[in-house]
Amino acid sequence: MSVRVLNPNAEVLNKSAALHMNINAAKGLQDVLKTNLGPKGTIKMLVGGAGDIKLTKDGNTLLKEMQIQNPTAIMIARTAVAQDDISGDGTTSTVLFIGELMKQSERRIDEGMHPRVLVDGFEIAKRATLQFLEKFKTPVVMGDDPDREILKMVARTTLRTKLYEALADQLTDIVVNGILCIRKPEEPIDLFMVEIMHMRHKFDVDTRLVEGLVLDHGSRHPDMKRHAENCYILTCNVSLEYEKSEVNAGFFYSNAEQREAMVAAERRQVDERVKKIIELKHKVCSDNDSNFVVINQKGIDPPSLDMLAREGIIALRRAKRRNMERLVLACGGEAVNSVDDLTSESLGWAGLVYEHVLGEEKYTFVENVKNPHSCTILIKGPNDHTIAQIKDAVRDGLRAVKNTIEDESVVLGAGAFEVAARQYLVNEVKKTVKGRAQLGVEAFADALLVVPKTLAENSGLDTQDVIIALEAEHDRGNIVGLNQNTGEPLDPQLEGIFDNYSVKRQIINSGPVIASQLLLVDEVIRAGRNMRKPT
Amino acid sequence: MRELVTIQVGDYANFVGSHFWNFQDELLGLASDPNADSVFKNHDINMDVLYRSGETHQGKPSYTPRLVSINLKGSLGSMSSHGTLYKEEAPAPSDILTWTGGVSTQAHTPRNKNLFLQRLYEEENLSTVNEKNGSNNGSHNEYQDKDIIESLENDVQFWTDYSKVHYHSRSLYELSGVWTDVDEFDNYGNGTNSFSWSSQGEEISDSLRFFVEECDHIQGFQFLVDDSGGFSAVAAEFLENIVDEYKNTPILLYTVRGPGPSASPQSRKRTILGDLHDAVSFSRLSSYCKLIVPVGLPSLSKSKASKFLHVEDEKHYHSSAVYAAALHSISLPFRMLPVGPTTAACSVSGAVDVHGVIQMLSGQGRQNIVSVLDVAMPAYALNGGPNQLSLLENLQPLTPQVAEDVEDMQAVEYMTVHGALAPGGHHASVSEVKDKVDAAFLRANTRPMFRHLSVARSPLPIPLPFPSIFGNHVGQHGEFIGSEMTSSSSKGSIDVYSIPMAARLRSSSAVLPLLESKLQNLHRFGIQRGAAGAEILRSWGFGKEELEEMEEMLSKMVSTLCPPHFSSDSD
Ligand SMILES: Nc1ncnc2c1ncn2[C@@H]1O[C@H](COP(=O)(O)OP(=O)(O)OP(=O)(O)O)[C@@H](O)[C@H]1O
Ligand SMILES: [Mg+2]
Repeated sequence: MSVRVLNPNAEVLNKSAALHMNINAAKGLQDVLKTNLGPKGTIKMLVGGAGDIKLTKDGNTLLKEMQIQNPTAIMIARTAVAQDDISGDGTTSTVLFIGELMKQSERRIDEGMHPRVLVDGFEIAKRATLQFLEKFKTPVVMGDDPDREILKMVARTTLRTKLYEALADQLTDIVVNGILCIRKPEEPIDLFMVEIMHMRHKFDVDTRLVEGLVLDHGSRHPDMKRHAENCYILTCNVSLEYEKSEVNAGFFYSNAEQREAMVAAERRQVDERVKKIIELKHKVCSDNDSNFVVINQKGIDPPSLDMLAREGIIALRRAKRRNMERLVLACGGEAVNSVDDLTSESLGWAGLVYEHVLGEEKYTFVENVKNPHSCTILIKGPNDHTIAQIKDAVRDGLRAVKNTIEDESVVLGAGAFEVAARQYLVNEVKKTVKGRAQLGVEAFADALLVVPKTLAENSGLDTQDVIIALEAEHDRGNIVGLNQNTGEPLDPQLEGIFDNYSVKRQIINSGPVIASQLLLVDEVIRAGRNMRKPT
Repeated sequence: MRELVTIQVGDYANFVGSHFWNFQDELLGLASDPNADSVFKNHDINMDVLYRSGETHQGKPSYTPRLVSINLKGSLGSMSSHGTLYKEEAPAPSDILTWTGGVSTQAHTPRNKNLFLQRLYEEENLSTVNEKNGSNNGSHNEYQDKDIIESLENDVQFWTDYSKVHYHSRSLYELSGVWTDVDEFDNYGNGTNSFSWSSQGEEISDSLRFFVEECDHIQGFQFLVDDSGGFSAVAAEFLENIVDEYKNTPILLYTVRGPGPSASPQSRKRTILGDLHDAVSFSRLSSYCKLIVPVGLPSLSKSKASKFLHVEDEKHYHSSAVYAAALHSISLPFRMLPVGPTTAACSVSGAVDVHGVIQMLSGQGRQNIVSVLDVAMPAYALNGGPNQLSLLENLQPLTPQVAEDVEDMQAVEYMTVHGALAPGGHHASVSEVKDKVDAAFLRANTRPMFRHLSVARSPLPIPLPFPSIFGNHVGQHGEFIGSEMTSSSSKGSIDVYSIPMAARLRSSSAVLPLLESKLQNLHRFGIQRGAAGAEILRSWGFGKEELEEMEEMLSKMVSTLCPPHFSSDSD
């Protein structure tokens, strides 16, 4: 601090040192992530100090696995992760875009431009780009019966950036069907109603959509059936275990009899509850062809399990709360919190309930349900890191479909939007801007090209050639993306390459905000200093 | 059976936990070792309360703690997050089944196993080869043991460095995307800002549910949290979730932290930050449980509790061993086999479950939910220790900011004594211990309103990786040999096999200074007009109302303990 006061130049030096530190951090992070982008990117295998393995092609997962220490890089990483939280995709693009905005700025700052002017230009360019996006996007009508083809194309585009083609294509149908299963017209889509469950499988990778529910536990009684058809399902949240009830459980009992009486009384209460369930079972299962399954969120202790097993009832305990909701959506009926007024209306139904045992792990399948509004995507893989990577991909796919339905629009991908937006900024917007802020608009426009450039680079193509070819084709009046196999322009519409509108929007919104903060680093410090002066 | 599920959140909590599980592992080993002292056999302690039986992916039987442990990424050292038994084979890049494009591998430099861990794995491989060649006891080369102990003394960096326990693959959870060092994860705000329950919480609660679902009749959660920094916020979220999901399952909460940095002058800003953290963290955490036990002295080495110990405060490996020993003693009654009062030859008495202890300490009379942890390590023999002091008199607090010599007519005490030595040097019988302790109580000047005593014959076993923290006058079985503190050299697991222990939870107004300081600091730095830390609390995400609620809660905790005639003064 004192040095700065003595040497007036020191402040300037520090200012630019801080700025360059920010620029370098942004570029550094960009370098790490850039090979990830697109269907020709590389997958990363991360091996930890103890040999733990993580496999990822996702910017979000990669960032989380990295040990980032630089505060600037952390700020960018947080923005990118937030991008994923909000829209489910576009982490890599966000990091690349921020990095490129910084890179483009660096050049211009080195030529003597003030960061403030650049930032003003960013703001103008951002607003113009968002307006352009509104014109550029492709509206899709959802209505009661959504266009399955467009949903599939969006899902496929995303999935193919994470999994090899055949696997991606298999998952495409699964995620689209999954979303259509849980979708209710006029209501936001609750992705939690698609359960994602995984199972180890010796050799290969296999994924399927279960219309119904898969739970990762089984019944806890040796006599209960492992396979049952025509099942009434009771979904409940009722304690079927003996617990000392809070009120009466004073620690002191005047004598052993009193204590025993207490215990007996409580046991009776639990038994009563179990009996009510058994009564209902007798009522609905009089025909002997049907079965009765209890899935409880609370505990069921061994005496209760015994009673239920004796009546041929299958019972699962400690189901997770979300499964209560899912079960009802999948099987019908309602989740009950008390057994006092049990009626057959509360019951759901499933054609098949069975248990699958894998070592110490048990799974219960609740399948063949009528008109389900909840489902499960079951992933099988030989080891944890493979399963985890597929899971990430499935989540991305689900988000992409959900976004499409909620956005009611999509954006042509493969760099098409970025090329078009850049030309718009340079040819139309720039000239309407007064003074040097023009250069900010230009920097922004050039930064957009990071997406097609990186896609080209990851395919081993010459970025210069590609950009020239794309711009030429664009100026001929066509919408063009990059064919990663040939380096030639392609029509993304024809190829079915679509990105999410909301993802793009979010990238354009957040990129310049962070870049501006990083560029104005010196002003932040100065503002702080001013405030300390008494006025 | 009444199962107990343990949760450890944060670095220091896992340091303590690692020792705790080492004790359990040692007990298991001794029970099946034909050469071991008979006191460790038929000890009437049901290890299934803490452990689960299962099967590895290869179909081998496993016996692992019912445990969920949360760590920052990178703090497991050389241990795989899948644990030791369930570890997966490392694949070659060509094994990638999901991607046909390019692969780039980024490998962290492998963490080397220290001498101790190397020996552990060698031994295990040997014993699987010649399974039935008797015990491996005695085959130890003492020279090797010395090397191992020395290497631990010098090089422990992670809690896994001295762990001899096999953990289940669902037990060890690493938080990712926190992007700070353990050292910088040092306040509540760091926790709230860099950890979001919505993204990682589901996986954590799924792991917990895995352990809870298989319990026939869970008695409670034993929850250890490192409350010195950001983990308080993580734990608070976790607790909120647990309370919500397992409403009637009691939680016994220990906040644990290592000794503070040795009196380095701190800036005022840092002091305020630290004080606010302590206040906020305490009130947040205590709002989710019915019994909270703050553990961790600013300087353990200088405290009365380590009168017979040589603890180095800088080593978490040291201090956490003392706290773990106390927690072990407190937890013994939770797993004692229930035996009728008439069975004379049993080796335990005073079984009680978590619910019972909570009711006892905080559920009756004034509802004070904060208990003090006291320990006697090692405990005196029944005929008295040095200077003929009784067993009760060497219990010393491990809870910070506790008032000494308070007279509290409403105090409640829950005490465990185990492995106590009789005059002849052998392990005293349960009834001998009971009689002696009862007699000591009758002689004592101040007596609690209510007390509960649990006794076990088996002492605390000292496993090989236990730190060398015993003073010179502690003998092989924890007896006192000679009363002088002689040289400063210390003894470890080679010289000391086991020690008698006494530990106690105490609901007493002695905890008032702790509560009052939290209340004051919250008010002074966070709430009153122009408070110096108001901005900090805002950045941690606390609004005015929340803070006032915390303040009210803390002042209620204080007033339950204040004798009524003080408060009526002001009217
Ligand atoms: N077949 C394709 N040909 C060319 N470009 C494609 C193709 N499929 C997708 N893309 C482009 O790849 C980009 C998306 O890549 P990717 O999914 O790897 O990164 P991201 O979405 O930015 O980040 P995240 O890692 O979070 O998914 C989009 O710009 C998209 O248009
Ligand atoms: Mg993507």
